[in-house]
Amino acid sequence: MLQQLANGVFSGAIYALFAIGFTLVFGILRHLNLAHAAIFTAGAFVGIELATRSGIPLWLLLPIVAAAGGIAGVLLERVAFRPLAGRDDEHFAGLISSVAFGSVLIALLQARYGTEPQSFPSGYFPNQLYEIAGVRVTLVQLLTLGLALALMLGLAWLVSKSSLGRSMRAVAENPTAARVVGVNVGRVTAGTYALSSSLGAVAGVLLSINLGQANRDLGLSIELIGFAVIILGGLGSLWGAMAAGLILGLAEALTIHLFDSTWKGLVAFALLFAVLVLRPKGLFGSVRVREV
Amino acid sequence: MLAGYDTLITTVALGAILAYSFYVVLMAGQLSLGQAGFASLAAYTSTLVVPTEPLFGSLSPVLIGIPVGALVGGAAAFVLGLPVLRLRGVFLAIATIAFGEMVRVFMTNAEWTRGALGMRLDKWVTIDLAWIVVAVLAYLFWRLGPSRTGRAFAAVREDELAAGSMGVDVVRTRMASFVGSGMIAGVYGVMFAYFFGRITPGSFDFGLMMDGLVTAVLGGYLVFFGPVLGAGFLSAVPEGLDATGLEAGWVYPFFTGLLLLAVILFLPGGLSSLFLRRRRRPKPVELTDAERAGLFAGYSEPGTEIARVRGLGKSYGAVQAVRSVDLELKSGEILGVIGPNGAGKTTLINMLSGLEPPTSGEGEVLDVKLGQTGRSHRFARAGVSRTFQHSKLFNRLSAFENVLVGTHVKVKGTFLKRLLWLPSARREEHLALAVAWEQIRRVGLEDRAHLRPGSLSYGDQRRLEIARALASYPELLILDEPAAGMNHVEAGELAELIGSLAADGITVLLIEHNVKMVLDTCTRVVVMNFGEVIASGEPREVATDPKVVEAYLGAEDTGESQYV
Repeated sequence: MLQQLANGVFSGAIYALFAIGFTLVFGILRHLNLAHAAIFTAGAFVGIELATRSGIPLWLLLPIVAAAGGIAGVLLERVAFRPLAGRDDEHFAGLISSVAFGSVLIALLQARYGTEPQSFPSGYFPNQLYEIAGVRVTLVQLLTLGLALALMLGLAWLVSKSSLGRSMRAVAENPTAARVVGVNVGRVTAGTYALSSSLGAVAGVLLSINLGQANRDLGLSIELIGFAVIILGGLGSLWGAMAAGLILGLAEALTIHLFDSTWKGLVAFALLFAVLVLRPKGLFGSVRVREV
Repeated sequence: MLAGYDTLITTVALGAILAYSFYVVLMAGQLSLGQAGFASLAAYTSTLVVPTEPLFGSLSPVLIGIPVGALVGGAAAFVLGLPVLRLRGVFLAIATIAFGEMVRVFMTNAEWTRGALGMRLDKWVTIDLAWIVVAVLAYLFWRLGPSRTGRAFAAVREDELAAGSMGVDVVRTRMASFVGSGMIAGVYGVMFAYFFGRITPGSFDFGLMMDGLVTAVLGGYLVFFGPVLGAGFLSAVPEGLDATGLEAGWVYPFFTGLLLLAVILFLPGGLSSLFLRRRRRPKPVELTDAERAGLFAGYSEPGTEIARVRGLGKSYGAVQAVRSVDLELKSGEILGVIGPNGAGKTTLINMLSGLEPPTSGEGEVLDVKLGQTGRSHRFARAGVSRTFQHSKLFNRLSAFENVLVGTHVKVKGTFLKRLLWLPSARREEHLALAVAWEQIRRVGLEDRAHLRPGSLSYGDQRRLEIARALASYPELLILDEPAAGMNHVEAGELAELIGSLAADGITVLLIEHNVKMVLDTCTRVVVMNFGEVIASGEPREVATDPKVVEAYLGAEDTGESQYV
């Protein structure tokens, strides 16, 4: 039981890390970026290739993947979102163009890596096991948890305290007014995508480390869970996404414990559905309902 | 020539059917992604009723499955729609995705569906049957487009508030599109099951839904044959790639992704918009005398009371926007409402036109009681029509089509009649076109009728909104700052127009900052400040009322105002 809850916390941390990137873009720019899952998957593949080819250590690998994710994010914004600005169907079109961008990215991954799952080289990370209060955890899991928490806190700090964060919040409030007072809205938009995508790419590496491998569909299942996380947490709420990620991880672990793993998917979506119908702003969110 | 391509051609038909289930929600502006769930429920239910032997010795047993699928899909959509249609945009999309996933998990865990193993079925769907279904759907949407219902769908897509104010029942229209989508998705589910001969819960997953959405967007959701075009194109791409020798597995998703990106960026109306004829100027249609007489039937006698409110108030949290307003409106008068910014004028007319319920007080407008939310179409049907302070035009419709939506309450539904080519449909459409022409000419926009609102000047947009409001032949017309942004020549023409409306027997409620215009045009003026009526009476009296002069006109001396 305790073991399962611990596992729930670990997967919850990764859900949360994936979802805060998702929710960041929505909260600030009102874009529902459906390419986020593809960037997440790409992050995992790039990480595995780097580890396999150069054998660089994890502490160096993660920043490189984050940077690659950031570049992908800027590209995504340029190609799929910026050309649509100001169009009547901007939000709907952005959703479609991000789907298109995502499927092109996945196709390119397939071109390079084929359809077989890719694995980290054996012995890439220590196989150390700890036992805390009867719960067995691996070093990798602890690392993942610590890193995910650190990144989320870092992001929260960035948004609330730094000058980039201030500009982001200004753009979120009112892009036109932000432009009038001298915020470079184009740069803030690109920065938001870069930040969101680097978090997504790192989350991809962390999940694939935990699984030991990655395949093309890695992003697909987490994308659906990502929806659940951001709705539970309230679209656009960072703290909400973190809490909801953990809650969802725990709820899934409990379902597996109490019922059967085949029912796992139902919990996330039943929760999501209930929240949407009963409390559309999410458990923690205070964001107004936005329209596409 | 087609031999050997049967499977491919049937797949195109199935893809088109799935895309139609997205088309019908997209044309009403709803992003619903529950189709996989509807298809799954319908497909599994149909396995319980579709016989294993041909009907009457020769007919495909799926002919029983198809109506059952439509029924199950439509019923599921209705039940799901009751709670989720309060949501909009991405929230609706995510809620419906969640529904689809719940259905999938449920089917995986149910006993009778044989879980993830799936069911084996007979392959009863032939190429002819698949294309007959597509043809029926294409016919439905072809007849739907230019009908009253089709215009209502487009109006809801472009602007729900404005659609409601033109008499379109937004809640019902959204539900209709949602149920329609469920029915078509249900048919798709059954066809899928009996074409491939095997279903698993995973047959109807998120990926399938994205395929349907992509097909609908690629083909375009503004023209009835868009889904067929989209499905055909998506199937042709791999054939073409095969022919050029590019067969690697990644090539197909790569090219379709690029294609989709190109279409959404450069061709927002989808591939089918390439086939649209250029926007032509609509041909003038004249009202017949009988039609004209019918339009004014039922107007109240001049001087009778058509609206009365008592103690009307509206507060938003701690802010009291309107407090205890008493007001009557008599047929045939032109009532001006003036007051400084934030005086509560727009809130007042929002309540009078049913857009917002009052928080205190009561009243009736043309026998409709104030109070319910989301019921602004009732006010429109009773004869209230309005314009908005910030123009709310339907941006992707032409100016003329905008005005046509305004005729919604004056014509009868024509979709079913158009399906059967009844002559009465033609009569109703003639009335709609003639009314729209009359009004667009009245505001002087007949030579710009084919343009989109976005390419009209600011003053023209305001006039277009008035024409749209007039097309419902309202008894009470509410104008919210119609002269804002007009130069004085345009404002003068507008004042003349308003005067001529009164001569037609239309009662006008005018909010305006151009005080001179109000004092010149109106027969009675109400002055508001801080949510209260501070003066009311004939223009001349009001203009010299010391309270008004102090609160609004701003002159220090209490003598004659400069406006008189």
